[in-house]
Amino acid sequence: MTRITTGIDQAPALETSLEMPYTLTTGKAVSVFIEQLGHGVIVGSHCDNCDRTVVPAQDYCARCGGDQGATVAVEPTGVVTAITRTADGAVGLIRLDGVDADLLHVIDESAGEVAVGDRVEATFAPEPVGTILTLAGFAPSTSAVSTTAPKEIDEVADEDLAKQIIYSLSLPYRHAYGPNYGRLFDELGSRGGILGSRCPHCQNVLVPPRAYCEICYVKTEQFVEVKDTGRLQAFSVIHMEFIGQTRKPPYVYAEIVLDGASTRLIHNVAGIDMARATEVLDIGTPVRAVWKAESERNGTLDDIDYFEPIPE
Amino acid sequence: MKSVAIIGVGQTHHARRRTDVTQIGLAREAALRALEDANLTIDDIDSIVVCTGPVLFAAVNQPEKWLVDALGARMKPVVRVTSGGGTGLAGALAAVNQIRGGFAERVLVVAYDKLSEGALQYSISTLYDPFWGREFAVGIMGFSAAAWRGRMGRLGHTEEAAAMVSVKNHKNAFLNEYAHVRRDVSVEDVLNSRPLCWPIKLLDVPPISDGACAVVLSSGDIGEKSENPAWIRGMSYYSEADNAANRSTIQSEPLEIAARHVYAEAGITNPRRQVDVVEVQEPYTCFELSYYESLGLCEPGGAAALMASGATQIDGDIPVNASGGCMGANPIGATGLIRLAEVAQQVRGKAGEHQIDGAKVGLMQAGGGWANLRGVAVVSSQKG
Repeated sequence: MTRITTGIDQAPALETSLEMPYTLTTGKAVSVFIEQLGHGVIVGSHCDNCDRTVVPAQDYCARCGGDQGATVAVEPTGVVTAITRTADGAVGLIRLDGVDADLLHVIDESAGEVAVGDRVEATFAPEPVGTILTLAGFAPSTSAVSTTAPKEIDEVADEDLAKQIIYSLSLPYRHAYGPNYGRLFDELGSRGGILGSRCPHCQNVLVPPRAYCEICYVKTEQFVEVKDTGRLQAFSVIHMEFIGQTRKPPYVYAEIVLDGASTRLIHNVAGIDMARATEVLDIGTPVRAVWKAESERNGTLDDIDYFEPIPE
Repeated sequence: MKSVAIIGVGQTHHARRRTDVTQIGLAREAALRALEDANLTIDDIDSIVVCTGPVLFAAVNQPEKWLVDALGARMKPVVRVTSGGGTGLAGALAAVNQIRGGFAERVLVVAYDKLSEGALQYSISTLYDPFWGREFAVGIMGFSAAAWRGRMGRLGHTEEAAAMVSVKNHKNAFLNEYAHVRRDVSVEDVLNSRPLCWPIKLLDVPPISDGACAVVLSSGDIGEKSENPAWIRGMSYYSEADNAANRSTIQSEPLEIAARHVYAEAGITNPRRQVDVVEVQEPYTCFELSYYESLGLCEPGGAAALMASGATQIDGDIPVNASGGCMGANPIGATGLIRLAEVAQQVRGKAGEHQIDGAKVGLMQAGGGWANLRGVAVVSSQKG
């Protein structure tokens, strides 16, 4: 899940990623819009209060906040009002005939450059894809400006509508270590040393090391090594499973105050009979780190496999 | 300090999953209800505060810009406030300060979350430092359970005492038309329910909800002219450093500080006697016990006895979560504002079936983060 990278020009960074799954609700108007694209119809909304038509259809009028819904079929022709080009092609704003707001979409330039003011016409994907991309984009057109007013559409049966869409976010990050975390994880990865920093005012040892003591708000001036033994300050036995979990239940989530430290470390306790965890462990139970083999260490907290109770 | 009133309140009928509206459609429902209750339209509103939890919950960044459209709020000041489970209270405090500062006369606070859309525990786990502990994170439930285990022996916050909180709040939710979990549970049911993060078990945990709440706050002058205002008599929100030296999770220091400030502002010296109704954002049962102590409803270590005495039941002398609290519904970004809305409705005499007769002074609590952000408010039927 996490690893350290180094490059010629860059300081070491921690690479992480979040892979988040979603089930998003489209709302009525957008679900009608997507469904009707499958029939080659572009659906917009007309607000009676503001007398404005927008595409794609929206549940609420952005002008007055009133209810509007997907109510009208609009012409598939219009004019380009803005255009920009990317490596993957052109995108632009299109003002469809009879509509009062622009629509952002792909513009097909395979037959030559398109300019602001050019007439365009909708092109559709061969098969519906369940998103706005059923409307593939807009291509140059010789059509005249349509003066046909948007036509009201019939109510679409509820069972024909897809109300939710599956979506996901893949979010990669590179976190800079900075001097304190840099030193901490260098020492952890190279020789299994755990560092904190000492506050010159209250003398507390803060793990992980940090530049300022949060209580006294003075600069810490000294790295201090703490032990890889400590005591349980709090713990929970985890049975719940959830998306994104890095460990297989049951396991023990533990807050450990390492010997020599004034702050808590979050880690796991293992090496015990998990079925008896609530009896074996107590607040104050002494524990020690069980390190991974040196060949498996990568300079993260995972270099400690787990903590185990120290037999009395 | 300038007076501030609550003149309108609205919430949605919360649900496990609403497939008929988008997240902004959900928020809009509550906003329209609050405006109707205040007998206002969006045109009368000077400023809007939008409150939601982390955007990872529902994949839309800066959702307030989307909500502007659905509210007809264009050309008005709109900001978003976020602070975990305390989000709604933090947003209300922003509104109170806008009014006190003379920036606005009427502010609409809209709070919501649509938790059915994303991966909840995974999203919450990103509260953890990516270098230091995120790989061990179990949302906030693992942390909360561990802290409870720490308090258990020291303060006597037993599993039985917490189970009684669950039984009480589940029972009260039957009286709340907006709650979506109404379940008859016994102490044995709670104790025998599946452990999720022991000592936290399934029935110690609130539902995952889609829901919204909105409140219209106003200046004192407008409040005076309102038919049935609830007056804000004090409101505070405090923080502590999450992993500072010797941080205690035994008692919540920022909650004690917030309570002290609010009580001083509201003239409360004995909350147990002077307050008529309390709403706490208890996400897990163990927190409600802890808050009894931090809010001064009993001495430290007295929470289990207070619970067992029946005093915090709906017919007790200090009812806590007559609405059912988070057990009835828990749309995280809205939860804090729901607690404020509930005490406001109580002192306005509009709480419905869970109305406490003659309630004049209400106390609420909400908080977020790693239990390190904590806030309190007192509302009253009297301007003071």
